[in-house]
Amino acid sequence: MHSREVSRAALDPANDNARTASLRALREGWPVLLEPFVGVAFGVLARGAGLDPLTATAMSALVFAGAAQFAMLDLVRSEALPVVVIATVLLINSRHLLMATALRPWFTPQPLLARLGLGFLLTDETFALSTSYYARGGHRLAYYLTGGLVLWSVWVGATLLGASAGAALPEPRQIGLDFAVTAAFIAIVVIGVRDRLDIAIALLAALVAGLLRASGFAVVAVLVAGAIAPVLRVARR
Amino acid sequence: MTLLTRTLPLIVRPPLPQTGRARRYLDALPISIIAALAGGAVLAPERRLSLGPEIVAMCAVVIVTAWRRNILAGILTGIVAIAAVRALPSL
Repeated sequence: MHSREVSRAALDPANDNARTASLRALREGWPVLLEPFVGVAFGVLARGAGLDPLTATAMSALVFAGAAQFAMLDLVRSEALPVVVIATVLLINSRHLLMATALRPWFTPQPLLARLGLGFLLTDETFALSTSYYARGGHRLAYYLTGGLVLWSVWVGATLLGASAGAALPEPRQIGLDFAVTAAFIAIVVIGVRDRLDIAIALLAALVAGLLRASGFAVVAVLVAGAIAPVLRVARR
Repeated sequence: MTLLTRTLPLIVRPPLPQTGRARRYLDALPISIIAALAGGAVLAPERRLSLGPEIVAMCAVVIVTAWRRNILAGILTGIVAIAAVRALPSL
């Protein structure tokens, strides 16, 4: 009985110290933390788009944003204007504004530089894992930091691997690797939709983007379609 | 650029809407943008409308991801599906 109480107390995130919070992040988050292996695909595609391995890896290390980096590659290949690249990246990552706002209660006590570092590590995955941890009573920054640092390391390492071994690897199209990014976007949407309206928004955005891309407006397709479809949720109710 | 969106709320604390239309719009924005990225690549991979292997692969990704609730499973399915459809001799 006593030992059961002790083990139950150890299971409670509220009793975590920095070490147990870090271990908990790895234990709970390992499938998600492996996801940045998509970085291999990014490295291969970046190489195909003309970036050398060092530039591609530096981009991953500094930008650290999967969807935005893939979009940047696509736009750069399309010779989009820099202002379109910047606007698209900002639009794709606008969700981080809301995530950072939600995490503010746990980050606010930290000094400015630490908050900047914590913000840099913010991704969809770390956000999802950490908010779940905090909702269960956890309060350690070590949980968020561990998840963020592991994701960053895997993403950067995978990019280097993909970009360096890119020449040795078969042509991405031959093995379907060129579709990895699109498949990731589709899967993220499928996981992310909460109701029928979300499904309608996703379908509308996809359709508008496809039509714009096919009509010679490829460089602004995502920007316009992405901004138009959410109006469905505003119009409702 | 990406640091800006990640840290702005941690530095300046903007009065983001908690309710109302603006909040609903912002809530729906991520899904919309990611779906737009996918839609362009599936419907017009070569910058013209096509009903090619991408459509078949998209269906496979949707089914497997909805079933397994796992993004990685969806990605691997997409890679295998598109490679398989492309390998089929055109009828």
